[in-house]
Amino acid sequence: MSFRWDIIFEYAPFLLKGTLLTIGLSISSILIGTFLGLLIGLGKIMRNKVLASPFYFYVTVFRGTPLLVQIFLIHFGIVPLFTGETNAVAAGVIALSLNAAAYIAEIFRAGIQSIDKGQMEGSRSLGMTHTQTMIHVVLPQAFKRMIPPLGNEFIVLLKDSSLLCVIAAPELMYWGKAMGSQYFKVWEPYLACAFIYLFLTLILSFVLNRLERRLKTE
Amino acid sequence: MKKVSFFVFAVAASLLLALTGCGKDKEVSTTGKEEESNGKTLRIVTDANYAPFEFLEGDKVVGFDIDFITAVAKEAGYEPKVESVGWDPIFVEIESKRADVAVSAITVNDKRKQTYDFSVPYFLSTNKILVPEKSDIKSGKDLKGKVIAVQTGTTGQAAVEKLIGENNKNIKKFENNNLAIQELLQKGAAAVVADNTVVEEYVKNNPDQKLKVVEDSSAFNEEFYGLMFPKGSELKGDFDKAVNAIYENGKYAEIYKEWFGIEPDVETLKAQQ
Repeated sequence: MSFRWDIIFEYAPFLLKGTLLTIGLSISSILIGTFLGLLIGLGKIMRNKVLASPFYFYVTVFRGTPLLVQIFLIHFGIVPLFTGETNAVAAGVIALSLNAAAYIAEIFRAGIQSIDKGQMEGSRSLGMTHTQTMIHVVLPQAFKRMIPPLGNEFIVLLKDSSLLCVIAAPELMYWGKAMGSQYFKVWEPYLACAFIYLFLTLILSFVLNRLERRLKTE
Repeated sequence: MKKVSFFVFAVAASLLLALTGCGKDKEVSTTGKEEESNGKTLRIVTDANYAPFEFLEGDKVVGFDIDFITAVAKEAGYEPKVESVGWDPIFVEIESKRADVAVSAITVNDKRKQTYDFSVPYFLSTNKILVPEKSDIKSGKDLKGKVIAVQTGTTGQAAVEKLIGENNKNIKKFENNNLAIQELLQKGAAAVVADNTVVEEYVKNNPDQKLKVVEDSSAFNEEFYGLMFPKGSELKGDFDKAVNAIYENGKYAEIYKEWFGIEPDVETLKAQQ
């Protein structure tokens, strides 16, 4: 079996286009997922059990079912329900964001709960409201502790975007598979994709490392 | 990591299924048919996702291709052991000689002949267009400018690419035809191009979906399916002889009628040899 560089070069423009879509999908899903995750995480730690229960339900469902299944359900069920037709990119962003939100909610919850009770008590006795304390005292401290697990989640999300090839979202893996099935080859497309994903996750870890160092207090 | 474990589980589960499947095969071969075929056991690979040619019924691979390969292998004096490995892996398994034969509605073409050996043709097929009943697509030409869903790596994809260009952004490539048809039903595509048997079978089984099949023999060529072997395989001779034998003794027609309900055109197939 010979390694055919020529087919990698032939598909390079498509792989590049796919990589750009992968980056776009990942960034938008990370942003939406983090925002939703924060709301859901805060929802889950509400004292009122009735109000908190939908958030518990959300996390259970999205963490308890495979992302692949969620992608199919959203692509063939949810998106056509609203727009009347399928849209792989929209379905991809929705599926990745909703799924990531469930994991990020737990990261936020754990981060917030790791902050000592005394912080809340101290701020409240200084006359701050519960919300003010959350925004100015608890969340900034919690966020610093949340960076490593959040970084993990972002990297998982970036790699999981490869699953979107099953609904023909033309991202990196989709073009990899197209290349493989055109020439009936496996090493060339999969190694090329693996290399690009590795490259993207390396950049992401680098950015996260820098962020962590900047927020260091000592 | 949490999400990865789902896949590990899925892989483990499917391995387990495959193992239990193998167990059953062995039971069959040791109990009844020992004296009938004491030939070598062949590892036959397929992609059981292509009804009515090969699909899963519970954990068993069934279909026209499976009955056909079983009959041919028996005729040639071998014990067949069919395993579903998925479409792309078929080619890897055969190229690396880990499997002996592949049967999966594989169209014989010159590009594939460079890397693999094929038996004499055993099935005639053409690509056809599946569209909603009210669609204005009347021929292959009308596909230009429309979004078309295909199964990736199939001759359906190749046929569409010939019409509107390779890697055209209007071609949506899916893992299998089920997903491509689902995309059509949810209006993500205007048409699906696939083998006639697949689209006709779908329309027959799902009359409530209001789909129809468009034929265009000028845009799509006749295709012949063949059994695929590793390059230089010694099995090819035996299997060619066996295929012709079951053409002659009526076994082929019997299996064909059982799955498609009509008589096969054996003469056209033989004329291709």
